[in-house]
Amino acid sequence: MDRRTFLKIAGTGSLSIAAGCTSEAEKTLFSLVQAPDDMVTGKAAWYASTCRECPAGCGILAKNREGRIIKIEGNPLHPINKGKLCIRGQSALQRIYHPDRIKTPLLKDKDSWRPLSFSKAIQLLKEKTLAASKKGPNRIRMLTEVVGESLLSLFSKSLHKWQSAGPLVFEPYAYESLKRANKEVFGLEGLVSYNMEDADLLISCGADFLETWLSPVEYARKFKVMHALKSGQKNLFFHVSPYQSLTGANADLWMSCHPGGETAIVLGLIKEALRDGKGQHLPESVRLSLARAVAAYTSTRIAGLSGIRTEHYKTLVYRLMDSRKPLILGSGSGSADANALQTNIAANLLNLILDPDLTLLDFANRHRVETAASRSQVLNFFQALEKDSVDLLLINNSNPVFAFPPENRLKDALQNGSVFVVSFSNFMDETSRLADLIFPMGLPLETWDEYEGKSGIGSTLQPAMGRLNETPNIGDVFLESAFEIDLSENNFKTYLFAHFMRKGIIGDEKGWVQTVRQGGTFSPTASDRPDRSVPDSAADLLHSISKPLDKELVFTAAPSIRFFDGRGANLPWLCEIPDPLTKIAWQTPLLMHPKTLASHKLNHGDVANIRSKWGSVEAPVYEYEGLHPNVMVMSIGQGHGSYGRYAENVGLNPVQLLSPKPEPLSGGPRFAVHPVSIHNTGLSMAMAHTDGSRIQHGRKIALSVSPDALKHGKPHKKHGLTMHDFPFTLPLPEGYDPKRDFYPPHDHDTYRWGMVVDLDKCIGCAACTAACYAENNLGVVGLKQMIEGREMAWLRVERYHDPVRMEKIMFLPMLCQHCDNAPCESVCPVYAPHHSKEGLNNQIYNRCIGTRFCSQNCPYKVRRFNWFDSQWPAPLHLQLNPDVTVRSKGVMEKCSFCVQRIKQAHGIAKNEKRMILDGEVVPACVQTCPTGVFTFGNLMDKTSRARQMVEDPRRYQVMGYLNTKPAVIYLKKVVQDI
Amino acid sequence: METIYKPQRPADKLKIKMHELTFAKIDQTVLDTLKPPSRNYWLIIAILFLGILFGAACWGYQIFKGVGVAGMNNPVAWGTYLINFVFWVGIAHSGTLISAILHLLRAGWRNPIARAAETMTVFAVCIAGLFPFIHLGRVWLVFYMLPIPNQRNLWPNFQSPLMFDVVAISTYLTVSVLFWYTGMLPDLAVVRDRATGIRKKIFTVISLGWTGAHEQWRHYTRGYLFFAALATPLVISVHSVVSWDFALGVVPGWHTTIFAPYFVAGAIHSGLAMVLTLMIPLRKLFHYEKIITIAVLESVAKTIIFTGLIVGFAYGTEFFMAWYSQNPLEMAIFQYRPTGDYALGFWIMVICNTMIPLLYFFKRIRTSIPWLFGIAIFVNVGMWYERFVIIISSVSRDFIPHAWGLYSPTFIEFGIMLGAFCIFFFLFLLFVKHLPSVSMTEMKEALDQGASHGN
Repeated sequence: MDRRTFLKIAGTGSLSIAAGCTSEAEKTLFSLVQAPDDMVTGKAAWYASTCRECPAGCGILAKNREGRIIKIEGNPLHPINKGKLCIRGQSALQRIYHPDRIKTPLLKDKDSWRPLSFSKAIQLLKEKTLAASKKGPNRIRMLTEVVGESLLSLFSKSLHKWQSAGPLVFEPYAYESLKRANKEVFGLEGLVSYNMEDADLLISCGADFLETWLSPVEYARKFKVMHALKSGQKNLFFHVSPYQSLTGANADLWMSCHPGGETAIVLGLIKEALRDGKGQHLPESVRLSLARAVAAYTSTRIAGLSGIRTEHYKTLVYRLMDSRKPLILGSGSGSADANALQTNIAANLLNLILDPDLTLLDFANRHRVETAASRSQVLNFFQALEKDSVDLLLINNSNPVFAFPPENRLKDALQNGSVFVVSFSNFMDETSRLADLIFPMGLPLETWDEYEGKSGIGSTLQPAMGRLNETPNIGDVFLESAFEIDLSENNFKTYLFAHFMRKGIIGDEKGWVQTVRQGGTFSPTASDRPDRSVPDSAADLLHSISKPLDKELVFTAAPSIRFFDGRGANLPWLCEIPDPLTKIAWQTPLLMHPKTLASHKLNHGDVANIRSKWGSVEAPVYEYEGLHPNVMVMSIGQGHGSYGRYAENVGLNPVQLLSPKPEPLSGGPRFAVHPVSIHNTGLSMAMAHTDGSRIQHGRKIALSVSPDALKHGKPHKKHGLTMHDFPFTLPLPEGYDPKRDFYPPHDHDTYRWGMVVDLDKCIGCAACTAACYAENNLGVVGLKQMIEGREMAWLRVERYHDPVRMEKIMFLPMLCQHCDNAPCESVCPVYAPHHSKEGLNNQIYNRCIGTRFCSQNCPYKVRRFNWFDSQWPAPLHLQLNPDVTVRSKGVMEKCSFCVQRIKQAHGIAKNEKRMILDGEVVPACVQTCPTGVFTFGNLMDKTSRARQMVEDPRRYQVMGYLNTKPAVIYLKKVVQDI
Repeated sequence: METIYKPQRPADKLKIKMHELTFAKIDQTVLDTLKPPSRNYWLIIAILFLGILFGAACWGYQIFKGVGVAGMNNPVAWGTYLINFVFWVGIAHSGTLISAILHLLRAGWRNPIARAAETMTVFAVCIAGLFPFIHLGRVWLVFYMLPIPNQRNLWPNFQSPLMFDVVAISTYLTVSVLFWYTGMLPDLAVVRDRATGIRKKIFTVISLGWTGAHEQWRHYTRGYLFFAALATPLVISVHSVVSWDFALGVVPGWHTTIFAPYFVAGAIHSGLAMVLTLMIPLRKLFHYEKIITIAVLESVAKTIIFTGLIVGFAYGTEFFMAWYSQNPLEMAIFQYRPTGDYALGFWIMVICNTMIPLLYFFKRIRTSIPWLFGIAIFVNVGMWYERFVIIISSVSRDFIPHAWGLYSPTFIEFGIMLGAFCIFFFLFLLFVKHLPSVSMTEMKEALDQGASHGN
């Protein structure tokens, strides 16, 4: 080889090696030759729809970019959620792109599944229905989740055609006791809604309206209107329950009572109200019978029965009698105790006594979930399958096998050889696994439908993107298989149109288009109080009250804000974002009171075995103060045996311990069980804590102030350099002080973005975190990495207990503070953290080499490092926001204030030759927060809302004494000492 | 030339011992070490090489998978890689201290160990320099840290202490390598003169034509002195700069002005311990007893007492300052260190670095080879833990309690650490068998004058 050849080979060789070594996977860009009309590359199209993650029915807008949905936001026009969305609603997106979604119908073939084409599956359905209906009446049964009126009527009609009774609506949380109580008192077996925002005092006897109860986004918003700081005062909220829950954590006073003890308290309050001369409008007979029922409830007896402190009860009485518009809510979604019905009746009666016109109850706009059958009806339904020799069972998108305790033997009912079970489901859940045919259908974001979360609201669903697979609309499947309708002419969409026309919601095609465009027709019917007198029997049930469980250990399964009844457990975001109270991700701990832990010689993190008559479970115990000492709580939702990779064998299912017998009076499920035994297995488990400490250690982090101090407090006179007397310093040139600052101020031109976080409004629900995950392509790391402490959340909701009264909790959303004196910026050797002209602390991913010095030096610890490449198993990656870079391994990332949205606003403003308007830039967390905690804006603009809020006397900066000059300014929580 | 022994200070045992030596004996003892090594030697070299490969494989795996294979997390984003970095930089300090500062101070006892200590410095700096690379999330982009002119005018941030490090470490490496090589020149010529074959050729090249001419000696001694003078400030500056990686951060427990002197003292402390760790086996294996006398080792031990006391004083000062400042965060971190999750590390650090070296106060202990060696090992361990405690405990509990978290190293990190120790001993073993591990020149000078060059 001569020298030249050698050099050539060496040159090309090293070049090709260098060119081949890249950390980027090969990508292909395709452009559409003919794009759909509404698709402009780089521009989002928004489709209005309705969220179907729970029966509340919030309005949503699905953001479609280049043909696929990348984000869901609340629909501002929708009266239920007014543009806001909860953690589950944000995560609904992952259902469409779930890697374990079933794409074709699956027919059980002995022990395996045989894929079918959709036409064959429909053919099979036709054959089965025909064969069954030929055999005789009622050979086909159907169980469905709560669906819209039109779909429900279609199901009924189809079943009718097949000579069978209509479908049974199944919801794990069906509010049986509340419905029955409404029937007893108001003569209406339904679920009224509450005008909570108009109340001046709120008492909840366990109703977890910030988590799952009826319509959490709606009530979270209304609650914060009611509970807002108005002229230096706040209305009060008392929560009485054995388990605090997130709702109780947001109460001014949470009163821990014996399980079943709430009833005594409400009865006592009725007694006090009657004694106070209230309730004169009630018929004499009712009043007398009521007086008789409550006669025995003296304050000492109540204290004994309920276990709450007498002075707390006296406060409750005093405040209630003092209030003008009180609202009393009954038990929660998982009404756990034997007295739930009586509690709800008593709460209704108390509302009636204190507010003769029941102005706070809305009888017209009732919650749709009222259509759900009671637990005992559903149980009978399954028990009758064999007896009634049912041939075909259709299950629409429900998972009763998971929701019912194993002792209910639903498995056996489904596996009974004679019945052919069809599960309309997109996932291989416990029920589908037992089905004979799994029929995947289009998900709510892919199909035409209609669902009114509250009666009187027409709310539509429309396909917000093209199909990833051929799953049909379930309406179409029924139209085709029951009515042999040619779908090319008439399909479920036309059916819906006709339905809307019939109901008079729309008049013509134009009206339809308008309705679909805005997501529904929102003219809530005016409240009409049913003019029915209270039946004399209303108070009858109040005479028979079970004794509260003051000594026995009770195990309670609580509904989960993240997983609802378990349907959310397969969505990675919901698993990854920690529980707001325990701050544990991916796992299901058993919450126990420290006293109970000590008496059982258990420590936080030990694995305990809990055994009831019906089953047992081994769970890690979690020391938690927000509990009655006799109560142990586990949240419902995890522990699936089958539900895709993110749910299978993740967490635990508390339902397996519960009694199979429904509550005799209301027909509802029992979410509490006793007696239970607990013993230490001697094992311990690493828990995926995302919190390092539960208390603040006296640091200036989450601060609160009393209304008095706010009113009379003087501004800090003398400033110093320590944590508690350092002056408030705006991240603007005016915050520059040559005595304190080494470097000259940044010269921001025109804009200096900042955020005001009102802690008084934060309920800790973590919807902001979910929105951030969705908007910013945050990676999901999974249980093992969570235990290692490697979560990627850019925005976390910190939870701090009061060290003296641990049941008092504060929440603080922590995100990048976009400091003006950012400690991260100066330490990076390559300028990857960069201070922008608009005050943003930009992280330049391409420049980052991963020294992690910025994270070490960040006092707020909001920076997140990509320890590995994030995984989005196909087709989850289709959800990724094209406006945000996907970070590779070895790169630091953090909150950018949704810089992509700022840039977009810049583009629009520039085109229109104007400045960005106040409120034009809405970061994802700000957008979704149900209670409006965040205000984002330009701090340079003295008229911007954010800047004006900075003048609030409650303002402070977290760790401001470091002179970081954060641009995230917190407003202290106003805490009333009761 | 006849050796004339003129006791200048009768009490100086160092010299009394030396009179047993002659120039020829010195040459012979040192050159004997360069005889073809035994099979066992190559076996050890092979084992160490395997250790290096193992460490390299661990690093390769980390590059391929991501830094997550190490145990770091949020909040503890710095782990054993930076602990080892500081540890090795510390080790690197004593070499220069011994060869440069003690040279300037005319401490004659440094002559027998100066060469080995300097070699230790060079290798330790090299290894220390590796760790920041291993630490990086995207090591393939490390050139961003170099001020290379580029189209986008992107420049490194000279405000960052990590940039200070790049400058300080590379300067230190350059100077110590040159100093080491310069000092070795006359010895290389000695080896050349006795060597045959390929070895002769190699040593002819690397001895740069040294003939021992008077003029060469004049330049050499001047040059060596200037190098010593140049290297002296580096001893102080390099570890001061390393300490600023921490002291310039805002983290409680790091953000303190004592860090620079504290780190320098710590570095010398650990370096001297490493000198003992290396010299004692070397002395035994190569029969250097007459050259590296007990008195030499004793002097090292005495210096260790001194540095150990400084380090202990620094520990105390930190606690005092935390209390005196009444800063709740500082107080919290200094309460956490001795009582919290890393209390074991803290007490290992305190006991090994400040208590155990005090045993050297006893003459019987500091003249006993097993004790000398054992205590040196303790100090090495203690100094590793000092870096562990400083780096890990502070960030694991800094400002925001909600973000607190714990760290523990993983298998990969231990693999890389093992690899690093293997490289060090691998290089050092190659050195002792292939280059003169004791400076024959300086020994001869000391023999004559009881001090060092230039007199």
